[in-house]
Amino acid sequence: MKALVVDDSNTMRAVLRRILQMRGFETVEAKHGVEALHVLAQTGTADLALVDWNMPEMNGLQFVTEVRKNPTHAQMRIMMVTTETGLHEVQSAIDAGATDYLMKPFTTGQVDDKLALLGLDSHA
Amino acid sequence: MNECGESADSRIRTKQGALQSRLDRRFSAETAMEELDEIFSEFLIEANEVLDQFDRDMVELEKDPSSRTLLDGIFRGIHTIKGTSGVLGLDKLVSISHVGETLLCRMRDGEMRLTPESTTALLAMSDSLRQVLGAIAASGSEGDGDFSALIRLLTSLLDPQHTSSEPAAPSTDLPAANQSMAAAALTPAQDPPPETAPPASVKTETAREQKDLGGDALGNTIRVDVTLLDKLMNLVGELVLARNQIMQLTSVQTEPALTGAAQRLSHITSELQSSVMKTRMQPIGTIWHKLPRLLRDLARGCGKEVELITEGAETELDRTILEAIKDPLTHVIRNAVDHGIETPEQRSRNGKNPAGQLTLRAYHEGGKVNIEIRDDGAGVNLDAVKRKALERRLIEPGEADRMSERELLSLIFQPGFSTAQQVTNISGRGVGMDVVKTNITKIGGTIDLQSTPGQGTTLTIKIPLTLAIIPALIVTSASNRFAIPQVSLVELVRLEGEAAAHAIEYIHNTPVYRLRGTLLPIVYLDQELGAAARQTKEDGQAITIVVLQTESNVFGLVVDEVNDSEEIVVKPLGNLLRGLSCYAGATIMGDGRVALILDVMGLAQKARVVGEQRTRTTETVVEKTQMDMELESWLLADLGGARRVAIPLDRVHRLEEFPASAMEWSGNQSVIQYRGEIMPMISVAQLLGMARISEPAATMQATVVSRGDRRYALLVDRIVDIVEQQIVVDPSRKTALCAGSAVIEEHVTDVLDVEGIIDASLFHTAELLTAQAGSC
Amino acid sequence: MAHQMCTFVLDRLLFAVEVERVQEVIRYQDATPVLTAPDSIAGLINLRGQIVTAIDLRRRIGLREREQDARPMNIVVRAAEGAVSLLVDEIGEVVEVDPESFEPLPETITGSMRTTTSGVYKLEHALLHALDLAATLQISAAPDGHLSKREAD
Repeated sequence: MKALVVDDSNTMRAVLRRILQMRGFETVEAKHGVEALHVLAQTGTADLALVDWNMPEMNGLQFVTEVRKNPTHAQMRIMMVTTETGLHEVQSAIDAGATDYLMKPFTTGQVDDKLALLGLDSHA
Repeated sequence: MNECGESADSRIRTKQGALQSRLDRRFSAETAMEELDEIFSEFLIEANEVLDQFDRDMVELEKDPSSRTLLDGIFRGIHTIKGTSGVLGLDKLVSISHVGETLLCRMRDGEMRLTPESTTALLAMSDSLRQVLGAIAASGSEGDGDFSALIRLLTSLLDPQHTSSEPAAPSTDLPAANQSMAAAALTPAQDPPPETAPPASVKTETAREQKDLGGDALGNTIRVDVTLLDKLMNLVGELVLARNQIMQLTSVQTEPALTGAAQRLSHITSELQSSVMKTRMQPIGTIWHKLPRLLRDLARGCGKEVELITEGAETELDRTILEAIKDPLTHVIRNAVDHGIETPEQRSRNGKNPAGQLTLRAYHEGGKVNIEIRDDGAGVNLDAVKRKALERRLIEPGEADRMSERELLSLIFQPGFSTAQQVTNISGRGVGMDVVKTNITKIGGTIDLQSTPGQGTTLTIKIPLTLAIIPALIVTSASNRFAIPQVSLVELVRLEGEAAAHAIEYIHNTPVYRLRGTLLPIVYLDQELGAAARQTKEDGQAITIVVLQTESNVFGLVVDEVNDSEEIVVKPLGNLLRGLSCYAGATIMGDGRVALILDVMGLAQKARVVGEQRTRTTETVVEKTQMDMELESWLLADLGGARRVAIPLDRVHRLEEFPASAMEWSGNQSVIQYRGEIMPMISVAQLLGMARISEPAATMQATVVSRGDRRYALLVDRIVDIVEQQIVVDPSRKTALCAGSAVIEEHVTDVLDVEGIIDASLFHTAELLTAQAGSC
Repeated sequence: MAHQMCTFVLDRLLFAVEVERVQEVIRYQDATPVLTAPDSIAGLINLRGQIVTAIDLRRRIGLREREQDARPMNIVVRAAEGAVSLLVDEIGEVVEVDPESFEPLPETITGSMRTTTSGVYKLEHALLHALDLAATLQISAAPDGHLSKREAD
């Protein structure tokens, strides 16, 4: 399975990459929405996208809106990664086509729970 | 849309908390320690980068408070730090950044405006975050610094009714300490060492070195550990040596396949070398980034306004060099703000813009990087410099008045010029400009100061691009090979046959060579290094002079042979040989043997110790040239021993010839009866410290000069000529007896100071003077 | 407790340095002289790309000069200063010495010998001079401008 991690923080990407790879995901990464769209175009769609909210160039909400316009990525589960201060954004992201959200700070267990909810935990 | 989140969903929080403890163990169990270390160091690099950008943007924002882009970036930066800190379980970082984030959020949403006070508070927050990051880097834990005062301050700023005089209420707005997944796992297994971080209220810059190479985890660039780069650089150095050896071995080979392969190896090695060098290059902007913040603090600290202009931030330098110039540069800038730029009131009074300008300019020039630090301040007060130099006994009272502007300015770089006493707390820290100069010199750089009163000061630093592998000239002297860094090389002069025989002339026992009309002090390398006494040169034997420049001198180094130009790998000398100032290091030659690299500056200094005064700069010569270029008439005379002097003709009363028998003694002064008076006879040769002429001639040549109503006879060997020409006096040979030396009719000629000569003869016996003139 | 010493000969005297300080022993190599350096500095040698300072131990200890055509050996030792090579006449074997047999130098021995040698081990057939490596490497570099002995000659 393949996961796309979109976050402007190297650290966050490293953490998420680590967690996902240990769960058998192949990962691709991008620093912001524009790059994420570019990565998807190059490497094909993914099973899962973990998307940060506040990023330069193109933020999480704009990315969700954009990516949902493309039917190629219709099956892609999108999980918004946000902080407690961004809870209000979650609703607008879900309205725009996000599947679920993950709140920072999170634990691996929370990630597992979310993956299970999304049906992406077959091998865990 | 409100992102400030004062009304977080408490149910979600509770659920989170419940899951955490169970899952913490799981994460730590499945994640290897080194992976955590990696994430951790990634975080430290990133967070420091974010904070640097934060500082720059804050300073910018203060100038342009309405910039939405800046505010967004600033907010995002702190938001990122808070988010990632939370994930990594770094509660202290979370609690500090949280208040800042809230404050910034209010500003972004237009509920608050940026005030100088809040800028200062937010910058203090960034310092505190750095401090915690520093503690993490040093000990693996966040340390026990107390940041409650800062948090209270930031919280108080959130209150619209806030006035700075009122103590702020403690914050109740902080999130509960986050017991996150990685908190336990990310702390190294061993007990964290006791915290040593300074208290939070102290504004310390935890100058944690970033490993940033401008790379990124994505796209076409990667991050590489600097130690790996250093290793790569060393290996390339070794490869260059091996290549040089191979080239030497194959130079005597005729096998075409072998020589062809060696050629290819050589090319590839050069390519590789330059590519590896490039990986170590970083734009100078990486060390300029912190300046806006520094300047803001400095300017506020001394009530000044300073505008920073940078040009050429993309100019690249080897990272070792960048590292080496960072502190000197900071010091120079501190100095410029502290001493250079005036207060806004003073500036306004003088019709200047109240805000001073500090311009940093970097550019490549002739294989070097020039860095200019220019301020439009008051300029250096030369009188103050003079006073201080006298106070500190760096110069003698009489000396100060004779010194040119440039020479006075150079006093600033003298050790002991600035001392702790009068160093303010800004440019302070006990470092003077001499340390700046030493540090720049250490990396083969030079420093030059120019100042115009009322208009400002410009400091120019010239530094080499890299240090590890340098082009050098290989010479032989006293049967040893030496490498001379090409950067000091001006030109090579080779003299053969007749030209060689008389090329080196002597002024007061100091060898000089006339290079296109300028006197070039000569240093014999073998003598300087104390090699066996120089064999007397046979007539017509060739002389090779390597003309070298240091920052303030040009001199000719006589060597036996110039071998080649080569790229050499600079290796340090062991500690046992540290103290030798003549050598900058050593290198391994193509044949595997070691050759010493000459330290041109050290050599020049050493030569000066044993030779004559050569302290004046060549620039001075040029400067003085303009002033002394006057058409004058000169009487030229020989003193014997090829020594020639010039006497200003307007001082010469008469030319006379006396029989030697007419000389009489009065006390220990030789005199002669002349036109009814007793006239002192002064042997110029003796005064100048020349050996006595063994057998006085039957007649004596004298030039009669007068002072007041007295006349004096200056005895010379032979009157040569009277010339009328412009002469260029080299003031570096100025003494009490000579105004300097010049080249007249192709002879090195001492220009006599008639007053000095008369004074000397009046107060001392000829014998005493002989000794004294040795220092002439 | 007995410990091991690497022995070598200087002007027919037997000397030794602790085995664990010895990095390697290499044959004679032409050293590049360092003019202006103190007399006991024999020069610089290239040890596989590393530049190592060689010390003429005879001069350092104040023994007679080596014959002109003698080919001394290099004992490369690890010191705080990094690798340093000691020029010796001959390399001997590694011997175990008994601390009981150790005796400080008699008062009558003075000069460089006294500062560079910590004492002697009384071996069955010879006296083994124990080199004080740290003290031996304390070579006061003649400050520039002062003539070393060689220069003055």
